[in-house]
Amino acid sequence: MENGNTTQAEGKDPSAFLSQIIGNSVTVKLNSGVIYKGELQSVDGYMNLALEKCEEHIDGAKKRCYGDAFLRGNNVMYISAD
Amino acid sequence: MATQLLPLELIDKCVGSKIWVVMKGDKEFSGTLVGFDDYVNMVLEDVTEFDYSGNHTKLSKILLNGNNICMLIPGGEGPVAAGS
Amino acid sequence: MADVDDGTSAPAEPMDLVRLCLDEIVFVKLRGDRELKGRLHAYDGHCNLVLGDVEETIYVVEEDEDEEEVIRTIHKKSEMLFVRGDSVVLISPQGGS
Repeated sequence: MENGNTTQAEGKDPSAFLSQIIGNSVTVKLNSGVIYKGELQSVDGYMNLALEKCEEHIDGAKKRCYGDAFLRGNNVMYISAD
Repeated sequence: MATQLLPLELIDKCVGSKIWVVMKGDKEFSGTLVGFDDYVNMVLEDVTEFDYSGNHTKLSKILLNGNNICMLIPGGEGPVAAGS
Repeated sequence: MADVDDGTSAPAEPMDLVRLCLDEIVFVKLRGDRELKGRLHAYDGHCNLVLGDVEETIYVVEEDEDEEEVIRTIHKKSEMLFVRGDSVVLISPQGGS
């Protein structure tokens, strides 16, 4: 569908947001409630993510660290810019 | 028929204003709608996440996956303001 | 994004990270509190994986005599494993720390 011209002009739709936050540190919440914090390396059309220096938080407690992590997009609930 | 408002046109009218998002399952978000795409993935600003347990989490700017969205309420301030 | 081109070096998209894991030991988190560690032999765009020399860890919540919840871990080893992509949550090189 056509978004209103204003939204396109501001470039604030999801894909614009994603390209804007690449390289930044982000918080990703999965549908399971597990949270991953890391540096966003890349995203694709499925919302698959690659995170660098990735920390895993389960129920508020830090569980694991991954140098690099690939997250499968179907599990993602939201991506938050820190 | 020309005056019919399509669902996504309604959401498009919400860009820039507060919106209340009810997910499948017991989770809700409220925030300012910045933008969205054809899948209704949405970018929200000044977001409050409402947990099933009653916890609130503040988030400055998020991309919310449209996959698990159930209902959108234009102008909604979230479950607290709605008195639930 | 379906096909992965071999020419590029920088991980321009997430699947490139998986490609860089080929023939390496990977840690895979699956739905249903399962984890795998093994050598990545093959993958595709759905995240279907073929892993070799795999160690699987399953976390199960059980009740002990006092009806308190305890987490039990089950370990399994397999020579070769096919993982259906829809159960994959996370893939990380080298395994978690």
